[in-house]
Amino acid sequence: MRLQRQWLAGLLLAMLWTMGGLPSASAQDDAALAYYRQAKIDWRQAAGQTLTIGLNKHPFTESLLPLIPEFRRLTGINVEYLILPEAEYFTKLAADLSQQRGEFSVIMTGPMRNWQFVSADWIVPLDDFLNNPKLTDLSWYKLEDFYPALIAANRYSGKIGGGVGEGPIYSIPVLEESYILAYRKDIFDQYNIKVPTTIEEMAEAARLVKKNAGIPGIVARGTPSVASMGTGFISGLKSYTDGQWSELDAKLNANFHDPRSVKFTEAWINMVRESGPPNWANMQWYDAMEAFTAGQAGMIADADFFAAGYEDPTKSKVAGKVGYALIPAGPGGKTYAGLWTWALGINKAAKNKEAAWLFVEWATAQRTLLNATIGYRNYDPSRASIMNDPRVQEIMGAWGGGSYIKTVAKNLETARVAWTPQPERTRLGDIWARALQEIYFQRMSAADALKNADAEVDKVLKEAEIKP
Amino acid sequence: MNTKRRRRRWRWETFLPYLLLAPALVLLAGMVYPFGLGLYYSLTNYWLQYPNRFRFIWFDNYVNLTSEPLFARALEFTLGFTLVAVVVQVGLGLAVALFLHARVPGRKVMRALMLLPLMMPPVITALMWKIMMASTNAGILNYLLSFLGVDPVNWFGSKQGAVVSILIIDTWGNLPFVSLILLGALQALPTEPYEAARVDGASPAAMLRYITLPLLSPFILLAVTFRTMDSLRIFDVIYATTMGGPDDATTNLQIMAYQYAFQWYQMGKGMAQTIVLLVLVVILSSVLMRLWNRAAASTAQ
Amino acid sequence: MTSQAMLRQRYLQKAAIAVGAVVLLLWTVFPFVWILLTSLKHPGDIISVPPKFVFTPTFDNYAALVIGEQHGQYSSTRPDFPLFFLNSMIISIGAVALSAAAGIPAAYALARFTFPLKNALAFVFMSFRFVPFIAFVIPLYLLYQQVGLYNTHTGLILAYQLITLPFTVWMLRSFFQEIPLEIQEAAKIDGCSWLGVLTRVILPLSMPGISVTVILGFMFSWNAFNYPLMLAGRQTFPVTVGAIQFISYEQVLWGQMAAATIVAAVPQLLLSLMVQKYIVRGLTMGAVR
Repeated sequence: MRLQRQWLAGLLLAMLWTMGGLPSASAQDDAALAYYRQAKIDWRQAAGQTLTIGLNKHPFTESLLPLIPEFRRLTGINVEYLILPEAEYFTKLAADLSQQRGEFSVIMTGPMRNWQFVSADWIVPLDDFLNNPKLTDLSWYKLEDFYPALIAANRYSGKIGGGVGEGPIYSIPVLEESYILAYRKDIFDQYNIKVPTTIEEMAEAARLVKKNAGIPGIVARGTPSVASMGTGFISGLKSYTDGQWSELDAKLNANFHDPRSVKFTEAWINMVRESGPPNWANMQWYDAMEAFTAGQAGMIADADFFAAGYEDPTKSKVAGKVGYALIPAGPGGKTYAGLWTWALGINKAAKNKEAAWLFVEWATAQRTLLNATIGYRNYDPSRASIMNDPRVQEIMGAWGGGSYIKTVAKNLETARVAWTPQPERTRLGDIWARALQEIYFQRMSAADALKNADAEVDKVLKEAEIKP
Repeated sequence: MNTKRRRRRWRWETFLPYLLLAPALVLLAGMVYPFGLGLYYSLTNYWLQYPNRFRFIWFDNYVNLTSEPLFARALEFTLGFTLVAVVVQVGLGLAVALFLHARVPGRKVMRALMLLPLMMPPVITALMWKIMMASTNAGILNYLLSFLGVDPVNWFGSKQGAVVSILIIDTWGNLPFVSLILLGALQALPTEPYEAARVDGASPAAMLRYITLPLLSPFILLAVTFRTMDSLRIFDVIYATTMGGPDDATTNLQIMAYQYAFQWYQMGKGMAQTIVLLVLVVILSSVLMRLWNRAAASTAQ
Repeated sequence: MTSQAMLRQRYLQKAAIAVGAVVLLLWTVFPFVWILLTSLKHPGDIISVPPKFVFTPTFDNYAALVIGEQHGQYSSTRPDFPLFFLNSMIISIGAVALSAAAGIPAAYALARFTFPLKNALAFVFMSFRFVPFIAFVIPLYLLYQQVGLYNTHTGLILAYQLITLPFTVWMLRSFFQEIPLEIQEAAKIDGCSWLGVLTRVILPLSMPGISVTVILGFMFSWNAFNYPLMLAGRQTFPVTVGAIQFISYEQVLWGQMAAATIVAAVPQLLLSLMVQKYIVRGLTMGAVR
């Protein structure tokens, strides 16, 4: 009898739990929603509608999930979400956007992706929503709280070859990602290795680490995909050329064969081949990051916020041993790192755009983003107020003995979106990455491989009728 | 009177096989429309983000393939890998089946354990082998090999290593399939030929060569057919580990088609490459099936 | 041969068999064991070099699957994994059942009758399994969206027929053909119609074959990845697609992925253990005849 009752209680609990969590106290409710109710808009104007959101698996999206019932109580809108890892996410997203059936109302996107979506007319500008007093209380929402560089990155005029930072805004950034150098301060100190300020010094430092400490001196993304090009590599190359070089020139001709680009590529590939890990050619972002976190690399030039993982004592073997510096500069002495933001946008085919905007507004509100950063490691914050929040300052200030925050702040002064706007950026990056692999495996010289890459890119751009 | 009844029965019975086949055919017929649509797309320049430029371009996609350097390499890898993989997997599968069929102690447990690799989706298998092989994430495989005096193998970072890795992962996942089919067949073999041979004093090797293998040949061919069809189109394992790299060393036609269709959104080209792969598979399979028909007919005697 | 030499040969044989058994066992089981160990490790232990065999185990990874929480981070209001598991069950069982229902009569027709177009139709069945999935996935995706089969169990079960039906028909055809004609003739003489022959002779005698086919079909369905990736939505994702969710943006949750793999393999393990007995029974039945 007792067993039966226990079993019944368990079943009941399981039912309640599956149906969306045990009911919480309503006092907690009001406290949570009070912040949003300060906004002078009617949150419930789209009550009863259903939204489907496409999300990339990311700490930000993880932070949103437990708050979704809160959103439902605030607005009366039902939310269904779909989360996938990045590659699968964009595949499924492209399939839906191309059909314009509106499966996803709100999507996660970013500057370079927007160029593709805008040219195909798949997403809508958000200015009308922002400037509509019925939908947005700008004085409460504080768009100016976002770092201007990030908002600018998500603006696009639709022009091919330019126009970033101009025109309508297509998505609201939820984080900032730029690229810096993380190095093993303990190893560098032990063997008197100088923190590199040029690519040549970087190759030398990598060599010394490998010789003295027996681990790869540098670890970097190497898979033949655009993802490997856009972080440390392109930041290094842009810095090497004082921000003057672009992968497409003014006439939209591919520019990989430029002698500066060839020289830098040779230096980078030689460095990776001599002092890098044997499986560089198969390293994805998480392989590189995990290698460094496991203490198996001397340096990594990649996303700044990976530091959150490096400095986590429960998972990292190098917590407290890492130093942070700018990616080596060029002859002009300045670093021009790349920039990326994950951001929320709205599908042109969304059937309930007002509801979609309310979600975006809620998800990018100060309180939601603060919670994402403090509770769920969503770094780096896109809002200045969050960055300057004492709790965040305390966490991030500890990284690298303070060198992290200083480096990131300095980096953001000159960090820019590194790519030339055009809808085939992904394809271009893939071609570029394959060229690097040809050089790495010594199938071709750097000059030849990059010249072939140029020809292939030109062919694709002509085929896509992006250039005449 | 008699002739009328006989005629009616004759007419009804001729339709019987078709009626029996009907449900299965209906299910598959529903798939013809999507396939036709795919075929149609292969004759167009369908590019997902430029819907306004959609045009029928006849066989341009197919013709352009010949001038695409990646195509030749992908074709070479597709055929080469299939040959090696089928030989390895069917050969090993036969060995394992014979092994398990013999009175080996603990073979019941072994038979149950053999099913384990089949339970894992290839994607997951590949990810797990990736953990074991990748040298920077505590590569257990190299660690164990070091005890045998083997230098650390660059599983995914070198071109040869990548191909071997794919082969190992694919074999691990599919060996049970071949072994099970052949084991099932072995266990259903008639015992009379063996008894007669034992009376005649034949050695085990001779029995294997002159009795077992010929009787098994339809099933061996079945296994070869299935493995060939699957190896030509292997995808999940490559997708989860090397994604065609490094330097296109593990790119086969299906991976190439996936890249064109799902990464670069050139549906027309991707479909054309898929159709070429399909033609390849059809040709090889019809050859194999003709062999199977012949083998099945001869063993039935 | 001297008796000493014969003894030595037998010892060598036994040793070779033992070694063979051990190698086979290790080859088959070790990756599985390693995944099991990984699923019980803390994140720090998973990436440590050299790899650890001895460590303090934790059930956090399994808890994370069901509760959706790990150290207070990454909590979800609705843990998805049980849903994915249920979807895999529904879709795989449905697909195999449908294939068996349509496949048994089809295989019977191909095995026991001669009629025009027989070889052509057999080839048609095989041919559907030839087609690379890409050729189907995009058009199916578009079609399903229009017809309303997108993100439905029915839609997936129908799509999965591309995986299970040709395989089922061909396997069953082979097994049906193995049954000696005399038994079938004997049954006909006893007055059985074609239906009687099917149900009273062929099906019982080929039960081992049918079991193997159904199990393998179930496993192929369970392991499918490409079709559900495009044709299913969140409500209908099976575990294969669900498992890749553990690749997050700033870390890969290997421990949770390992735990998910183990849990996803459990029904197939149980199923095959259950049917193991059936296979043995079926075989002994065959031997007695």
